[in-house]
Amino acid sequence: MSKFLPLFDGLKLNSPLKTMSDDAGVENAKHIWENESLGGIAENNNPLPRPVVGLLLLTFITAMAWTFPLFGQRPSAAIYSDYIGIYKSDPVQRILNDTTLTSKEADERAMAMIEKALAEFPSKYEFQRTQHPITMSDLRIMEDKLIELQQTPGIDLEEYSIIGNEIVVANFEGNYKADGTREKKQPWWDKGYKTAIFWFLGFCLAVIITVKRLPPIDWKPDHSVAH
Amino acid sequence: MIKYLFAKEKDIPGGTAAIFFSFSAIMWFIIGTGIGSFNAAKLAFPDWFTHLYALQFGHMRQVHVHAVIFGWITGAFAASAMYVVPQLGNTKLWSEKLGVWNCFLWNVGLALGLSTLWFGMTSGREYSDFIWPIDIYIALVMVLPLFINIFMSIVTRRTQGIYTTNWFFAGSFFMLIIVFLVGNAPEFFHLTGLNEAYMTWWFAHNVLGLLITPVAAAITYYIVPKVTGNPLYSHRVGHLHFWSIVVFYSTPAAHHLMSSPLPEWLKSFASVEGVLILVPAVAYVCNILLTMQGKWAMFVENVEIKYTITGVLLAIPLNMQGGFQQTRAINWYVHGTGWIVAHAHLALLGFSTFAEAAAVYYGIQTIARRKLYSLSLANFHFWMLLIGFSLYWVSMTIAGLIQGAGKIYEVPYMDIVIAEHPYMIVRWLGGTMVFLGNFVWLYNMYMTVKAGDKLPVGLQPQDVAYVR
Repeated sequence: MSKFLPLFDGLKLNSPLKTMSDDAGVENAKHIWENESLGGIAENNNPLPRPVVGLLLLTFITAMAWTFPLFGQRPSAAIYSDYIGIYKSDPVQRILNDTTLTSKEADERAMAMIEKALAEFPSKYEFQRTQHPITMSDLRIMEDKLIELQQTPGIDLEEYSIIGNEIVVANFEGNYKADGTREKKQPWWDKGYKTAIFWFLGFCLAVIITVKRLPPIDWKPDHSVAH
Repeated sequence: MIKYLFAKEKDIPGGTAAIFFSFSAIMWFIIGTGIGSFNAAKLAFPDWFTHLYALQFGHMRQVHVHAVIFGWITGAFAASAMYVVPQLGNTKLWSEKLGVWNCFLWNVGLALGLSTLWFGMTSGREYSDFIWPIDIYIALVMVLPLFINIFMSIVTRRTQGIYTTNWFFAGSFFMLIIVFLVGNAPEFFHLTGLNEAYMTWWFAHNVLGLLITPVAAAITYYIVPKVTGNPLYSHRVGHLHFWSIVVFYSTPAAHHLMSSPLPEWLKSFASVEGVLILVPAVAYVCNILLTMQGKWAMFVENVEIKYTITGVLLAIPLNMQGGFQQTRAINWYVHGTGWIVAHAHLALLGFSTFAEAAAVYYGIQTIARRKLYSLSLANFHFWMLLIGFSLYWVSMTIAGLIQGAGKIYEVPYMDIVIAEHPYMIVRWLGGTMVFLGNFVWLYNMYMTVKAGDKLPVGLQPQDVAYVR
């Protein structure tokens, strides 16, 4: 065991908050600590100050919260799919073709009508639509490509992103199955966040075990022995 | 140097390799900052010196970046490691001869590499601009022997424990070989497109994250306890720093390409880890500043502590910027602007350079057993470096914010160029101050070896008063 996993040598778990090393291990560490001079340098055994521990926890919460894609993540083409059907409807087209309105007025009224109609039906894209509002000009740019994709069998619009004037596959995750669908697809709210949480927890576990193998924090080394 | 290249190991005095690396690093720093000053002048005054192809900005930017990273910064790291690692293990450098050859071939390789860039032979990938034969040379002829020497000095130490500094030295030089060989894969295997872009920034990210930042920190872990005489505040916080660097800084690097069509999960994951670099940063800064307890007068009175603590203090804004500028919201604004140039200089010319300068100041005195020739010249160098750097950093940060606003609000490019012109002039002035200060430093170091007062037996440089 010790040859391959020295981390677990002399592991003692009956008082893990104090130390995870057995008595022999602790005494050995204390002896080396006090009797050895590392080029004239000594080290203390202080814990991280408590306010700093709080700061580190705050850092993790901040990391998760701040990187959450409220802004900046590219919108999926799927959230605009329903816009097209309403855009092509007679009432909307009538407003767009109304010669008594300026083109700006017509666009604004038509988009307001589309958004009002969309609000009548519950949709899983409601939140994302508020994140990524579009104008009539945007809708015209994506119109042809979006219709083409809607009419292509086996296409999942959630895999397509709006990038400038293009609608392209831009999120590569999971292999294709025989029926053309993906093996896995992460929801829009978990783009790597579960991975990040597991990574962070793994780190905490490893570091806590590492530092808890040291002598307990209430032991203060006597530096006068070696220096 | 020629004498020692062909001398027997036992005939080479201890510290020879470190002295050669120290002076070669200062020389490259002068060359690198000189070219940087030249480049900044071309950005401030675009019509100046336009007639020689090899000296155009596109070539000179690459030469500047690689001269400072591999000539100055990594050279100073090598110098530091070659005297610090043996001292911490109560032993000698594993092979002084290998160290001297390492220094010789380091300079030959770098001169060759920079010449190829000068003549337009480049991979065209930022930070890994060298062509692939030079990349292999750097990994196998420059860094591998350095790693072997450092690693074997740790293996053959005469202590049971290994001090924090040596964890970083051994780990970083080993990782640098991996980073070089993997990060340059696009050239070895002709990867293109998104793969090439990703690997390019994986390389650049890890050169900073697994070499420059941790090794600079390693130096400060040595200098502060050694010179102040205080014990390091906490061994266990050192563990937290080391392992959080390994875990959080080495992660995917996709946050350098937030606007690319990389998988969103990869970018989010990288971005979370990007903010989490504040974990090692907080642990590190706390550990060093708390080690200074009761010895803050040395921040004013002692040259090495002045440089080291200034570097540590600069690590605070460095990591605050680094942690947050890669998040989607802020990256949207600052990406591709002078802000990033300012941040890169905060890392390399701020935090890292101050730590390395301290190591070179201390190392040359310790190895040559001579007291620093002139405190006044050292202070002059310090203020030229600090004021010059500050002018550079502040002016480029402002210029970056102007560029960001111009980018977002679609201001015509020429209007942005005109608006940032005053800041380009300040940048040139700041960079030139750093360049000129380095000549004073070289002179002071040369005179220290030649005419510095001899240190009495048993005393260290910090134990003896300054005389000039």
